[in-house]
Amino acid sequence: MIKSIKKRNGDTVAFDAKKIREAIHKANIAVTGEKMSAKALTELTEKVVSLIPPKKIPTVEQIQDLVEQTLIEGGFGKTAKAYILYRAEHTKIRQSEADLMDIYKELTFSYAKDADIKRENANIDADTAMGTMLKYGSEGSKYFIDNYILPKDIAAAHINGDIHIHDKDFYMLTETCCQIDLIKLFHNGFSTGHGCLREPNGIASYSALACIAVQANQNEMHGGQSIPNFDYAMAPGVAKTYRREYFKALANYLIIRFGMNRTDAKALAETVREELGVQITMEGADDFGAVLTNWLPRHQQAGGFQPITEQEAADAHEFAARTAWDQTDHATYQAMEAFVHNLNTMNSRAGAQVPFSSVNYGTDTSAEARMVIRNLLLATDAGLGNGETPIFPVQIFKVKEGVNYNPCDPNYDLFKLAMKTSAKRLFPNFSFLDAPFNLQYYKKGDYNTEVAYMGCRTRVMGNHYDPSREVTCGRGNLSFTSINLPRIGIEAKGDLNEFYRLLDGRIELVCRQLMHRFNVQCTKRVRNYPFLMGQGVWIDSEKLGPDDSVADVLKHGTLSVGFIGLAETLKALTGKHHGESEESRKLGYEIISYMRRRMDEESEKTGLNFTLLATPAEGLSGRFIRIDKKLYGEIPGVTDREYYTNSFHVPVYYNTTAYNKINIEGPFHALTNAGHISYVELDGDTCKNLEAFEAVIRCMKEAGVGYGSVNHPVDRDPICGYTGVINDVCPRCGRREGEAVSVEKLNELRKLYPHMPHFCGCE
Amino acid sequence: MKKNEKCVAEVGKDVGFERIRRITGYLVGTTDRFNNAKRAEERDRVKHGLAD
Repeated sequence: MIKSIKKRNGDTVAFDAKKIREAIHKANIAVTGEKMSAKALTELTEKVVSLIPPKKIPTVEQIQDLVEQTLIEGGFGKTAKAYILYRAEHTKIRQSEADLMDIYKELTFSYAKDADIKRENANIDADTAMGTMLKYGSEGSKYFIDNYILPKDIAAAHINGDIHIHDKDFYMLTETCCQIDLIKLFHNGFSTGHGCLREPNGIASYSALACIAVQANQNEMHGGQSIPNFDYAMAPGVAKTYRREYFKALANYLIIRFGMNRTDAKALAETVREELGVQITMEGADDFGAVLTNWLPRHQQAGGFQPITEQEAADAHEFAARTAWDQTDHATYQAMEAFVHNLNTMNSRAGAQVPFSSVNYGTDTSAEARMVIRNLLLATDAGLGNGETPIFPVQIFKVKEGVNYNPCDPNYDLFKLAMKTSAKRLFPNFSFLDAPFNLQYYKKGDYNTEVAYMGCRTRVMGNHYDPSREVTCGRGNLSFTSINLPRIGIEAKGDLNEFYRLLDGRIELVCRQLMHRFNVQCTKRVRNYPFLMGQGVWIDSEKLGPDDSVADVLKHGTLSVGFIGLAETLKALTGKHHGESEESRKLGYEIISYMRRRMDEESEKTGLNFTLLATPAEGLSGRFIRIDKKLYGEIPGVTDREYYTNSFHVPVYYNTTAYNKINIEGPFHALTNAGHISYVELDGDTCKNLEAFEAVIRCMKEAGVGYGSVNHPVDRDPICGYTGVINDVCPRCGRREGEAVSVEKLNELRKLYPHMPHFCGCE
Repeated sequence: MKKNEKCVAEVGKDVGFERIRRITGYLVGTTDRFNNAKRAEERDRVKHGLAD
C-alpha cells in the first residue's frame, strides 16, 4: 500500500484514497444514465489503488491517468469524460502559478540537450537568450489559452491528447502562413513598417528584397512563408540587370574600339537606349542587334559624329550582348548565393530562428527565369560559407509535362540539374502539377494557377468561399488542428461503426474549435498586420484601410483538420497497416476519404475553406503516443514506439521498395487537399546514381503524388569539410567522430580540396 | 579559437560529425536538436530498394 504522493509543486504528502473516491463520485453525479452504486465506487477506487506501482512515489498526474483508465475499462465512458473535464477544470484551479513556474524553471536552468520541451521545434535554438524568451512567452500563452480562452471540452480534448491544436500559443494573435507574390509587392516599392524601399532595379536587389519580404511577413505570422513563383518573380530583376550591363558594355566598347571619351560613349549608349524604339532583352538580343546595326551608322552620319560602319555596329552589339549575358549570369549567381546565405543567417522572431522560408520554381521558361533557376541550384550545390548544406529556403521544383518533365521540354535541363542538386543537398523537393488535383487549376504560363507548396507541405489552392479566386498568391492556412487517429482505432476495439462514430465526434469537435479560433482571428484589423495586410501581401487586403476588419479577406484562407498515425490506426483496427495488407490499404483509403468528405461538407455548410491535412507533426510525433501509452499500455505495432507514424505514411521501419511505398501513398495525396508529402529513403550510393534518382521522381509523378522528396544521409565533417555519407570514419581525413587529426594531414588535403574550412593551426 | 592563440598540432578533438536529416519537410542541421520522438523515428528508418 502506498503511503505518499508527490504534488505538482514537488511536495510529498500523505496518500489518501478517499480523495480518489470523491473525485470519481463528483464526476459520476455530473452525468446522467450511469449511476454508480456505493459498492461500485469503492471497487473502482480499490482498482485504481491496486494499479499504482508500489515502489515509486506516484504523482497526482499518474493517479489521475489511472482513474481515467479504470473508468474507461470499467465501462463508465460518460463518467470518464466528465472526469477528464473535471480534471482539466481542476488542473486550472489547482494549477497554481507554481506549475507554469516549474516550466519556466526548466526552460531557465536546463540545456536543450537535456530538456525535450526545449527541442519541440528543431529550428529554434532554445539555449539562447531570445530562444528562451520566446519559450517563456509561448508557455505562458498556452497556459492562458487553456485556462481562460478555450471552451472547456476543447481544452480537455487537447490536454488529454484527443486532438492537438497546433501553434496554440498564437491562438489569439495571427494566422499560419502566406504565399507571397513578390511581383505585386515590388511594384512601386513597399514598406516594412520600419522603412520604405523603392522598386528594385537589378537582380541583386530583387533577391535582397525577397529575403526582407519573407522576414517581415514571418514576423507577423506563426508559420512559414513561401514564394510560390520565385522564377517568375526574379526574372524581371535579371532583365533589368541585363539591360544595364548591355549599355555599360556598349559604352565600354565605344571607348576602346573608337577612342571615344567616357562621357560621349555613355551619352551615345543612352541615346541608343532611348531612341531605338525597341528594348534590349536576353531573348530579343538578335533583333535588337539588327535594328542597332541599321540605326547607328545613320545616326552618326546625320549628327556629324564619328562615323561607324554597319559591320562595326554589329561587332559592338555582339560584344555588348555577350558581355551583358556573362555579367548578368555572374550577378545572378551572386544574387542567388546571397539569397540562400541570407535565408540561413538572417534572424526573425527576436533572433531565435531564421525565417521558415520556401521557394517554388521550375516552370518559367524565359531566358531570365532559367538563369535564376540554374544559378539558385548551383549556389545550393556549392553550399554555405564552409560548404555546409543550406537548411533554408525549402526549395520546391515544380514538375510539369510540356515544361520540364520530358527531354524535349524547354526546362528539362533544369529538372535534371534539380535532381542532381537534390541528390547532394536534399533540396529541391519536387511538386507535381500534373497530378489531377493540381492540374485542374493549371493554365500555362499563369503562375497564379500553379499549385505551390509550403516547405512543411501545406497546400492552398481550392477556394470554396470564392471559386473565382482559386489562386496561389496572397493566400495561406489560417490554422490547423490534428486528430489523434490511433486512439480512435484503439478505442473502437475493432468495431468499425464505433470507429466512425468516434471519428465523427472528433471531427465535429475540431471543426468547432477551428471556427472558435477563426472568430478570434476575425476580430483583427489591418493595423494588427502592418506588412501582411498593410502592404497588401494577403489577397484583397490592398483594398482595406488600417482600421478595417480583416474578417472577409481571411475567408480566402484555409481551416485544416489534420491527422497522424494512419498506420497505427489500421494496426489497432485490423492488426495490419496499409503497407502490409491490401485490405488495410482499402480501409485506410476509406477512412481518409471519409475525413475529406466531412471537410467538403463543412465547407458547404460554412462557406469557408475546410481542408484535410496530412499533418507535418513536428512536436506532435511523440506527444500523442506518450499519452496513449500511459492510457492503454504498450500495444504491439500501435503504441510500442516513441512516435506515431507521420500522416498516411507507410511506417519508416517497414521494409518495402521505393516503388511500393510511392504507389501505396500516392492515392492519399488526392484526398489531403490541405497538404501532403511522400518520402523515399535511398542509401548514399543509389542516390548518387542520377538515373535511379530520376526513376524515383518519375514514379512519384506517375503515381499521382502531389509533393515528394528523396531522403538520403547527408553528413559533414566540420574539420575537413567532407560532405556525403560518413559512417564511422570520415572518408576524406580518416578521423572518427570526436577524434583529432593532425594539422599536417589537413594541410596536405587542402592541396586537393582548396575549399576546406579553416581551423586554428600553425601556418 | 583565434588564430595564433595557441599552436596546435592536431584539431578535431571532441568535434562530432554533422548529420543533416529531414523529418517533417524541413531540414535540420544536426540531429542534436531533434526532440526524442524524432530521434527515434530517424533511428528506425530503413532504406527503400529500387527493385520490384
